[in-house]
Amino acid sequence: MKFKTKLYIGFGFLFGLFIISYLIFMIMMSQINQNTKNAVKNYEMLSLANTIQNELNVFSREARGLLANPPEELKRPFKESRDQALHNVNIAIGSLEKLDSREQSQHLIQELKTMSRTLGEMEKEGDGLIKEGKYAEVTQLFWYDSLKVREDMVKVASELQAIQKQTVDTELNQSRKTYKLMNQMIFIYMIAGFLAGISMTIWIFRSVTGNLNKVTSVMTKVAFGQSDQLPRIKVTSKDEIGEIAVAFNEMAQALETHTMQEKELKHAAEEHSWLKTKVAEIATMYPGIDSLEILAQLFITKVAPMTGAKYGVFYMKQGNGEETKYQKLAAYAYNDQEAGKDSFCLGEGLVGQCALENRTISLHQVPADYIKIASGLGSASPANVLVIPAEFQGEVLAVIELASFEPFNPLEQMLLQEVMDNIGMNINSILRHMQVEKLLEDSQTLTEELQSQSEELQLQQEELRTVNEQLEEQYENSEQKTRELEKTKSMLEEKAKQLTVSSQYKSEFLANMSHELRTPLNSLLILAQMLAENADGNLTAKQVEYAGTIFSSGNDLLHLINDILDIAKVEAGKMEILFEDVKLSDVKEVVEAQFIPIAREKKIQLNVQLAPNLPKVIYTDKQRLQQILKNLLSNAFKFTEHGAVSLTIQKVEKEVFSKANEIPYTDIELAFAIKDTGIGIPEEKQDNLFDAFKQADGTISRKYGGTGLGLSISREIAHLLGGFIEVESIEHNGSTFTLYLPNDRQMKQSELSIVEAEVAAGVIEDSESIAIVDPVEFLIQADEIEKQSYGKKALLEGKKILVVDDDMRNIFALTTALESYLVEVLFAENGKEGIAVLQEHPDIDLVLMDIMMPEMDGFEAIRFIRRKEEFLHLPIIALTAKAMKDDRKQCIDAGASDYISKPVNLEQLFSTMQVWLYR
Amino acid sequence: MNSIERHVNHELEAIEIDLLLEGIYRYYGFDFRNYAVPFLNRRIWNRVRAENVSSISGLQEKIFHDPSVMKRLVYDFSINVTEMFRDPSFFFSFRTKIVPLLRDCSAIRIWHAGCSTGEEVYSMAILLHEEGLYEKTRIYATDINENVLKHAQAGEFPLQRMQLYTRNYLAAGGIRSFSEYYTAKNENAIFHPFLMKNVVFAQHNLATDRSFNEFHVIICRNVMIYFNKMLQNRVHHLLHESLSLSGILALGSKEGIKFTSIANSYEEVDSFEKVYRKIK
Repeated sequence: MKFKTKLYIGFGFLFGLFIISYLIFMIMMSQINQNTKNAVKNYEMLSLANTIQNELNVFSREARGLLANPPEELKRPFKESRDQALHNVNIAIGSLEKLDSREQSQHLIQELKTMSRTLGEMEKEGDGLIKEGKYAEVTQLFWYDSLKVREDMVKVASELQAIQKQTVDTELNQSRKTYKLMNQMIFIYMIAGFLAGISMTIWIFRSVTGNLNKVTSVMTKVAFGQSDQLPRIKVTSKDEIGEIAVAFNEMAQALETHTMQEKELKHAAEEHSWLKTKVAEIATMYPGIDSLEILAQLFITKVAPMTGAKYGVFYMKQGNGEETKYQKLAAYAYNDQEAGKDSFCLGEGLVGQCALENRTISLHQVPADYIKIASGLGSASPANVLVIPAEFQGEVLAVIELASFEPFNPLEQMLLQEVMDNIGMNINSILRHMQVEKLLEDSQTLTEELQSQSEELQLQQEELRTVNEQLEEQYENSEQKTRELEKTKSMLEEKAKQLTVSSQYKSEFLANMSHELRTPLNSLLILAQMLAENADGNLTAKQVEYAGTIFSSGNDLLHLINDILDIAKVEAGKMEILFEDVKLSDVKEVVEAQFIPIAREKKIQLNVQLAPNLPKVIYTDKQRLQQILKNLLSNAFKFTEHGAVSLTIQKVEKEVFSKANEIPYTDIELAFAIKDTGIGIPEEKQDNLFDAFKQADGTISRKYGGTGLGLSISREIAHLLGGFIEVESIEHNGSTFTLYLPNDRQMKQSELSIVEAEVAAGVIEDSESIAIVDPVEFLIQADEIEKQSYGKKALLEGKKILVVDDDMRNIFALTTALESYLVEVLFAENGKEGIAVLQEHPDIDLVLMDIMMPEMDGFEAIRFIRRKEEFLHLPIIALTAKAMKDDRKQCIDAGASDYISKPVNLEQLFSTMQVWLYR
Repeated sequence: MNSIERHVNHELEAIEIDLLLEGIYRYYGFDFRNYAVPFLNRRIWNRVRAENVSSISGLQEKIFHDPSVMKRLVYDFSINVTEMFRDPSFFFSFRTKIVPLLRDCSAIRIWHAGCSTGEEVYSMAILLHEEGLYEKTRIYATDINENVLKHAQAGEFPLQRMQLYTRNYLAAGGIRSFSEYYTAKNENAIFHPFLMKNVVFAQHNLATDRSFNEFHVIICRNVMIYFNKMLQNRVHHLLHESLSLSGILALGSKEGIKFTSIANSYEEVDSFEKVYRKIK
């Protein structure tokens, strides 16, 4: 039975009980009401019957009063009261008639009615008789007739009353019975209703709560987190609770299904996330790896444990085309077994096959001797082997082989698939990366190489520049020298005039000198010789010896004087060279004539030989040639004690001499070799042999005499003749002096150079006491001296500088300072004026620009100047106030070359100016 | 000349150069064996031409028997190209990025390796002076070539280059006037000696010598471009060893640390100027 029905039944039952009790009460109440009504009616009838009796009494009393013949005036109220009473009787009878419908009563009432009417009529008769005064008759009538009627009437009324009373009693009994019954009935009913209600309630309660409790107890068993196995409610009833139970069971079922699904999903998600984590873990190790070996090692050591593999090898593709090989690059738990191979060709073995097909190869239940996984404690064979390719865009870049005791589960295989895909990509990217790195590195190396080349270039440029500068400097020097030469030329021309005069003086002086010196010397010599001859024989041997010494010394002195005159002539350029045709045979004759006697005297042989291919005549200065030969032969004889002296004249090849000497002689034709067998000259002394006043041995002159000027003179003369002298000597074995001479008919150059030398010497003699200096050398020296002492001046001198400043004191101070360095100073008092001056004098070398000025300030002026192309590189030095740091940047931005803070430090200013005036 | 001959010649050339360098190392003690090959090639041929010989072997004879030729070759190998505030952007970067890092140091040690004729050392001294750091700074300026060190110590630089130097000084963010630091004399600008007060010049050969201190800043610009990879790595390790943690390494703008074996030990401070900071 449904819960609803139960409720309906329960409540309906109670409601029915309620309605029944209500009806019972209603019925009883209406019965009581009826009884009451009857009682009231009866009571009214009783009272009416009473009223009739009473009124009849009243009637009787009044009628007797009237009969008592009262005064007239009182007769009337009696009459009226008697009539009223009768009237009331009639009314009561009328009411009673209406009320009591019973036949018995009606009958009585009709009697009463009749009697009442009779009474009324008798009254009227009595009244008429009273009026007629017939009292006797009236009394008769009243006491007899009327009394009788009245008594009857009371009698009837009493009967009536009795009837009434009886009715009332009956009804009262009836009422009592009814009440009693009602009480009983209510009591019974209440008990019955109560019992029924309670049992109904208990029934409903029990049936509802029992089911609910069952459901609740099952429901409370449902705990959180255990949604996979939910309790079920046994469905016993078909009511709502039963439905709830069914619904609950359905729900539990649904929940269980859901949980199951959820679990499955969760599991799947976990697997997925494991996969992703591992993939990510492997993916994150790639960055920073730049070598395939490291990649392979990292990869295999990471992947093998992840997939539960106990053994793993990583093969990387190497080579292309037919040479493709898969080389073992890294391994996990690798032990050196015969089974493994280090490289596979495409299609070779499972690894090769895997690479060829680009497909995973999986082996199960491999034989026991397939491979061994070894540890310190032992080794065992794995059951499963997996060979997986790693590809990128269809190309198998690597293959890994994994071995494991347990089969690889799908998840692990999935992981492998995924990471293999990744590593393929990564190998590719690393290869790319390595290529890029390589290229980058190459480019870096190239950049560095470029930088070093550029530095080298810079260095070479610098060197070139230095050389260039030196050249330029030399050029400038020579330019300057040319200028100076030109300058001095006029001077020199004047000097030349003076020189002509002075050379006249000199010639005269020299002539005088020779004369003046020689005259006394000659007399001295003659006298000394005379003394030495000791013609008178009065001198001791000692004295004779002294006189001999005086003679020989005087003779030496004479030679010396001659030599000095000669060398002075040569070096002053006064030596005159007269080229002419000279017969070589004449030369020979002269030499022989002069030296054969000496040879004889010293008992030394003299050989003069002329080579057969010699020209008969040569073009030179005969006298000077003879002088040289004489000098050289004299020396030869001087230093030769025994043996031979020879003069050989030969023809030589022209080219021979162009190399050996610093001055190329290209036209040498003749060689005059003077050979002796004398003491020779030590090698170290050969170099300065020809220097004036030098002899091989400082002490030699004492032994051999001579001035030592002979060789110098000979050399100078040889130069004048366009030739030179060479010496070859071995100490103690003699020397060979060779005079080389040209045979040229255009011998003019040497004359020219002599003129120059002459001129220069003239100048130098004036300024310096150095006798003979190379003019070029002199000028360099002079220049250096000047630079050293006037370095600042040199850079600043002659420069034109514009000072722009509004403060005249500054201008004055600067001008004074600058002019002391021979700088030409222009000035302007503001920017505008400065620009005007600059335009007037575009040759200004440098501008000193004050910044704070009226009209146009320094910045603006600098900007204006820089806008003109011709002043783009004009050095402008800004003078800024020390405190104004921004000014400096503004200066440079405006185009100033440099700046100096005021107050100006002159040393600093000059330094800066030198920097910017440097060209 | 066909390709085989050329190849043979190249091979021969390589052998000749190896022999020459080995010989120089054993006889004179100069180790140029790890210099960059193309550089050696150029410089040696340069010397071959200058000495008027026809081959490297010819030069070898001269070098072993005439020390002056060796001197010239050593001079050839030392490229002393430098200028004051060379690469002004580097000095500007140093002023703006490195100087703030150095302010907190109580004493600053700077090693200028390969200082050449010292222009950059003076530049650094000026920069630090202007930044108020010079008093607590000590600059160790080294070079392989003693002659250039003498030159550097003199502090005299040709007047002709001063215009360029002034421009460089300004471009490097100079905050005073450059002329405050020198006096012109004859052909030279003589830098004021106070700039050298905290500078120590010493001969040091990066290729063979060891580290001699720990530094906050090492400047080694355009030195390693003449070395081969191996020597570059060696020098880098030497510099790394000589640098304090968070120390600054400044290389030439064309150099880089990327392809050296200790690239990971540095972080970039200025990638363009090749300024690095040691991080481990």
